[in-house]
Amino acid sequence: MKLKKLLVLVAAVSLMISITACGSKTNNANSATNAPAATNATESNTPATDEPAADDTAIVPEDGAELFIWESKDEMAFTNEIVKQFEEKYGVKVKVEELAPPDQVGRLTTDGPSGLAADVLIIPHDHLGNAATSGLLLANDVFAEETTKNNTESSIVASTYDGTLYGYPRAAETTALFYNKSLLPEPPKSFDDVIAFAKTYNDVKNKKYALMWETGNMYFNYPFIASSGGYLFGNNGTNKDDMGLANDGAIEGLKVYQSLVDILPIKSGDINPDIKRGLFNSGDVAMDINGPWELAGYKEALGDNLGVAPVPTVAGKTAITFSGMKIYVVNSFTKYPNAAKLFANFASDKNAQLLLNEKVGSIPTNLEALESDQIKNDPFVSGFAEQAKNSQPMPSIPEMSNVWAPVNAALPEIWNNKADPKTAMEKAIKQITDLNNGAAE
Amino acid sequence: MDRHRNKATVLSILCMGLGQLYNRQFIKGLLFLIFEVFGVTYLINNLPRALWGIVTLGDTPRMLVKGKWVDGDHSIFILISSLITLLFLVVFIIVYVMNVRDARKVGHERELGKRANNFRQSIRYVLDYKFAVAFLSIPAIGILFFTIMPIIFMVLLAFTNYSAPKHIPPAMLVDWVGFGTFRNLLALKTWSHTFYGVLTWTIIWAILSTITTYFGGMLVALLINQKGIRFKGVWRTILILPYAIPQIISLLVMRNLFNGQFGPVNQYLQYFGLGGLPWLTDEFWARVTVILVNMWVGIPVSMILIMGVLTTIPRDMYEAAEVDGASGFQKFKIVTLPMILFTTAPTLIMQFAGNINNFNMIFLLTGGDPVKGDYQYAGATDLLVTWLYKLTLTQNKYNMASAVGIIIFLIIASFSIYNYRRTASFKEEDMIQ
Repeated sequence: MKLKKLLVLVAAVSLMISITACGSKTNNANSATNAPAATNATESNTPATDEPAADDTAIVPEDGAELFIWESKDEMAFTNEIVKQFEEKYGVKVKVEELAPPDQVGRLTTDGPSGLAADVLIIPHDHLGNAATSGLLLANDVFAEETTKNNTESSIVASTYDGTLYGYPRAAETTALFYNKSLLPEPPKSFDDVIAFAKTYNDVKNKKYALMWETGNMYFNYPFIASSGGYLFGNNGTNKDDMGLANDGAIEGLKVYQSLVDILPIKSGDINPDIKRGLFNSGDVAMDINGPWELAGYKEALGDNLGVAPVPTVAGKTAITFSGMKIYVVNSFTKYPNAAKLFANFASDKNAQLLLNEKVGSIPTNLEALESDQIKNDPFVSGFAEQAKNSQPMPSIPEMSNVWAPVNAALPEIWNNKADPKTAMEKAIKQITDLNNGAAE
Repeated sequence: MDRHRNKATVLSILCMGLGQLYNRQFIKGLLFLIFEVFGVTYLINNLPRALWGIVTLGDTPRMLVKGKWVDGDHSIFILISSLITLLFLVVFIIVYVMNVRDARKVGHERELGKRANNFRQSIRYVLDYKFAVAFLSIPAIGILFFTIMPIIFMVLLAFTNYSAPKHIPPAMLVDWVGFGTFRNLLALKTWSHTFYGVLTWTIIWAILSTITTYFGGMLVALLINQKGIRFKGVWRTILILPYAIPQIISLLVMRNLFNGQFGPVNQYLQYFGLGGLPWLTDEFWARVTVILVNMWVGIPVSMILIMGVLTTIPRDMYEAAEVDGASGFQKFKIVTLPMILFTTAPTLIMQFAGNINNFNMIFLLTGGDPVKGDYQYAGATDLLVTWLYKLTLTQNKYNMASAVGIIIFLIIASFSIYNYRRTASFKEEDMIQ
């Protein structure tokens, strides 16, 4: 008996070490960026293009130009490669510094005017509104024609703010369902199927769960809001005064969300990306709703057993996920605007997007890249592309930054404390409108 | 007979250095003159703009003109450069006053029949009699521009509307709003509810965390110091370990240890047939957890401190107590405890003030979570300082953050000063009887 307890102790300690030792890869949920072909993207937001430009690559880097760029840690393999190619082609030295995309606009705000910020940034498109209204970005003018022609419509919508094209879309992201084929050969069609499967599979004692996802984070839970008719901001995410987080559709979806506590009886605060990754890799958790940034790691762990499918239907309606684009933008304080624009264009063209896909498994926004064999034959990326067809780009108006905290506080209320979805969401809306209307000024 | 004095004074008031020249102190006079010329040109060039800047904070933002950005006024830079100019003005005035006083003094000495010092003698005089002042003036200037100026700047932010999304330069301007920010923070429902909630928890946390670590440390120190305890060194080493591990590692480990579902702590409790606790996900228990973990981190420090104090207590006091027939507990109450408290009271206050701002502990262990639906960007375990961090770094509400910062300062300063002045060690240098 004593020995047994000692063994338990050893097991506990080793579990702890294994949990903490696995890398603290930052989860860039809020930095979500995204997916091609949002079906409900609007025309109104795309920049008007005049007659075809005759020669749009008429710019050359300035003499003695040196560029400085920010890039996220996860994509360094791609960046080092693309920087090398760029230096060979244009003879411009590029310095790279690590900075998570969601933090870049904040740093640009403080460091841009004093000339300390990067010349080219890679940001989640939902931060575009803030950066553009603060006058921190140069419009994508020289390559506007080329960018608009070569990329998916939704990525252009996401790169545009207030009628001006700013961004050079590089990759699309949305959430989809990762599943372990050795545990379920066929992905579930609806959340009812998920519940049915969970009844046969769940074993709380041994930490076996059918499905696990970050239940306290709006990014992953958007299907429960949007599929049945809820939305963040009306008029395709541009009207800050029309919020649909608590309309009947959203509440219907959130009731489904709340009912899933039965198959995942865990407090939202206890689910963190590291733990979830560990359990999915070890085959204890059968499904995970997550973004393409997890692909490389999951492929390594599960090999052929990994499948990617669209998110199951919510209350009988096709799941609509959030999509976000990662877009390059050019700092308006740059000393070398031409070189910077050239780099942004170069690092987001077809070849660059295919290289990025090869290195980190991203979803291209470039139309030709999407049609290429490299993408077509990749079951994982095409799984994301499938879901992306039913995704909505995150709103990019500045008010978007006021949404995360209140909603991420309301979700745990609903999940952990069985709060009434309507009450919780109405409280969140009230907080968001207070912030929008300058209560914080 | 006060001609020299008055002439020198009047001349110095007219222009720096003239009085010194009149007193035949040519080099000193020239130096003052040069400073005057330099200072006046600088101020003529900059002062009007600085005054305009500090009043208006700019009036044309950066604008797009035909597709090109045209630089306008960056309110924050204007505020900083105005401050620098105004501080220079202060320095200029101080030097001016010094120059007038110096001229008058030397004039007075001349009336008494002394010869004015020549330059070499002046230098000697400064080195011999005013050495400290002369040498401290250089760092003092540095402190003025690198420490005091930023502090003034940050305090002033609280009286502006510098915040996302509507007042972020360069394309937008920042304006003075007087006490509007404080009014919002203290009276506007959305903010005040969070503020009072976070403030209350901060005070509770500071009191509890200080008391638990201090008395925990005392208990451990006394236990190890008991007669008959062997391997004292080993115990000490084991107990100091938590302090030796960098907090960034140990606290992140703790975060996973206490995970309600998968953490070893709850796995254990279940193994012994007890239900697990929601260590980090329930408001109340999360607060208990941070206090517990803080004890683990903080007790070693207090233990070392108090062990040091214990060695200084004279043996004869205990012997005298024993002669009077005191029990063990009485010895502790009458001799040990007062001695420890007397010696460590200042440290205790320092710890208390430090705990109010114990950023590491909260940020690394819980990140301020569990989230509270009715809080504005704060969670149940957020202290004022971590909330301030969130306001600044994730929400860009710089004015709110500045206001919260000022309030934190007022709280800590008043607590510390009040407490420190009341401690016995401050009041009397000699021993307690």
